[in-house]
Amino acid sequence: MKSILKSVLPVFFLLAFISCKVQFVPEYNAEISKQIDTSAKMVDKLYLEMLETTMPEQREFAKYAKEYVAVEVELNSLLNKNKIRPLNEHSTKICEITLKKWIKYKQEHKNEYETSGSYPNGNIKINRVYMRDFFNAMIIAENAKKIISEEEN
Amino acid sequence: MDFDLNETLADMLGAIKGAVSDNWDEVRSTANQFIERRKERLNLLAELRLAKEISEEKFLSTLEDEKDLLEAELHAIAVISKAIAQKAANAAIDILGKAVKAALSAAL
Repeated sequence: MKSILKSVLPVFFLLAFISCKVQFVPEYNAEISKQIDTSAKMVDKLYLEMLETTMPEQREFAKYAKEYVAVEVELNSLLNKNKIRPLNEHSTKICEITLKKWIKYKQEHKNEYETSGSYPNGNIKINRVYMRDFFNAMIIAENAKKIISEEEN
Repeated sequence: MDFDLNETLADMLGAIKGAVSDNWDEVRSTANQFIERRKERLNLLAELRLAKEISEEKFLSTLEDEKDLLEAELHAIAVISKAIAQKAANAAIDILGKAVKAALSAAL
């Protein structure tokens, strides 16, 4: 009996090993991908509206506070969804950095208007480009998982 | 049992090379896109500062954002690299599995 086990066990373990798949990144999540796109559009809309419809001195923070908060809620939600996915530390970190920047830009608008009575076009233009590219990094990280999921199936 | 380890290892190596080279363009095009966007941002930043559309404080603060964005982009490239490594490792394991199963079938 022992000799049978000795010869069968290695084959069993080898078969078990070759049936395994390694995983370094989580599966692609279409819901998260869509939410990143929606959040990026919300930010773009907010900044374009500010630029196109108001003069710097008309940009009281209070007028835009709800939209800033709405984006922050989306980013918090994205961060929580990313955090609970195993093997997802890179996307989580990108999301953390993006949220930190959004809070910084929100605070900048508030402080700038309180101290100078205006919020300059230049700040909006540059913040818009940076937020676009933070979202771009987020979507590229998510899409990389999509490519692998499609190719392995 | 008819199992040629050298041939299997060569096939596994071929599968790894294939998976990496097939996906290498993904890393290269993403890195190029990040570089192009960096040029565009820094150009805009310089223009805005020279035209005095942003303050010195905002200029310096944005340079800090640039560092954080570089970190975010490196994380994105890390995901692509890990995904390629995953594909390559699984392709090699598949080759080994098929070779062992074929040898076992022949032996039984």
